[in-house]
Amino acid sequence: MRVIPLCVVALGGWLTMPALAADDAFQWLKRLAEAEHQQSYAGDFVYQRNGSFSTHAIWQRVAGGEVRERLLQLDGSAVEVAMVDGRPVCATQGLVPGAASGNGLGGDRFDPRVLTQSYELRVIGDSRVAGRDTVALAILPRDQHRYGMELHLDRATGLPLKSLLLNEQGQLLERFQYTRLDVGDVTPETLRTGTGCKTVEVPPAREPQPVEWRSDWLPPGFEQLESDVRSSPAADESVAWLSYGDGLARFSVFIEPLRGEVVQDARSQMGPTVAVSKRVTVDDGDVMVTVVGEIPLGTAERIALSMRKAPGLAQQ
Amino acid sequence: MSREALHESLSAVMDNEADELELRRVLADSGETELRSTWSRYQIARAAMHKELIEPRLDIAAAVSAAIADEAAPVKPAEHKRSVWQNVGRIAVAASVTVAVLAGVRLYNGGADSAPQMAQQAAQPAPSGLSVPQAQGPAMLAGYSEGEADAGQAAQDTTAVEGWHEQRLPEYVRQHAQQAAFGGSETALPYARAASMEER
Repeated sequence: MRVIPLCVVALGGWLTMPALAADDAFQWLKRLAEAEHQQSYAGDFVYQRNGSFSTHAIWQRVAGGEVRERLLQLDGSAVEVAMVDGRPVCATQGLVPGAASGNGLGGDRFDPRVLTQSYELRVIGDSRVAGRDTVALAILPRDQHRYGMELHLDRATGLPLKSLLLNEQGQLLERFQYTRLDVGDVTPETLRTGTGCKTVEVPPAREPQPVEWRSDWLPPGFEQLESDVRSSPAADESVAWLSYGDGLARFSVFIEPLRGEVVQDARSQMGPTVAVSKRVTVDDGDVMVTVVGEIPLGTAERIALSMRKAPGLAQQ
Repeated sequence: MSREALHESLSAVMDNEADELELRRVLADSGETELRSTWSRYQIARAAMHKELIEPRLDIAAAVSAAIADEAAPVKPAEHKRSVWQNVGRIAVAASVTVAVLAGVRLYNGGADSAPQMAQQAAQPAPSGLSVPQAQGPAMLAGYSEGEADAGQAAQDTTAVEGWHEQRLPEYVRQHAQQAAFGGSETALPYARAASMEER
């Protein structure tokens, strides 16, 4: 009879262990979410994907409830961006309309709770990045409609020092990794941008235009973040734009009328980003639906084919 | 060190199997001009792959056709299992395809049923074989695999390039990337991703 309670204890302990590991990972992600808004730091990082490798320097200064950031590309042309509370204030290169407006619905602010709906979180062990002790987390997709991530967080601050995006076969799609991180005081001088960094004009605030499109099918966990009507990059046409996210992955849908033009479907992949264009027939002529995002190709195709026109419908 | 051994070393370096510093030393000792030029060509090819060379805007179709043509060209019979020339050719093809991809957006038509996976490009700088993190135990860190795909595959995938998409896709991709980069992200990752989409 003495064996039974022991068994219960042992079994109970064994059952709760994975739960604790997940809970631990969740706590780490919460720490990450806080650190990015409270921590001043400076560092260098590399970004690598299929066909691209670049090095960057970053400075972040948090003072008076304001987060100021400066990012400078270290190789090739000196691409530079300065941001205040995540909104670009100066940039060496032209930004797309909407990038500077900051009129996002704010729905995509990193929230570990949203993440757990679509991903399983695990602490996978200790690691070391940029000469600092880090904890390695696995963010594993619960289905085949999104990629997994290996995330290494600084033990001292919770800052993400390394992230690897992996496809379902475990192949590396992209690497983001710090090579140096200095935590603490960042002087305002270091945040001063070069002369090539041109002030970003903030367009007058306007309500996003209603989009007469909706998705018939979405991968579980993805929700619409924003939508708007923009002008076509190549023709005098209006393009309906919708963006979706699951708390980690994002994709955008662009819908442009073809006006009788014969254009074939297309697919392309740039590292983690896939672009799928599908011709969809609606009552008033064909349109080209283009899905761009960090999602598997098959999922993007299915989304493209699931877009439906719903006149009079907006923000749904 | 024999000539054969030198070729072997060079070949190994191209496959990321040897220490570069070691090879530099060997080359300096050998004074072989042929090997030196092979080595410098390799460096240029790799620089191109890493976007370090400032390339003017390229005609994607022409660049890809050239890559295919190069690939199809008969290769000098190998003296031994891993010919240096074979490797140089392969890297050059991969580099030119990569540059074509960088210059624009790679488009290809085809069946919609293929499994979603990373476009296969051979001899690329990115590591390909990576283990999925395991449940427990010590952290699984990224490891490079030495697996090599066939460069010809990258060229085959790239068939038709359409003007309509060519005019729009780069801008759509930019819009998507920048929206994520400046959408209140917690890390600089979406920013770096967006920067990598910019043509320079």
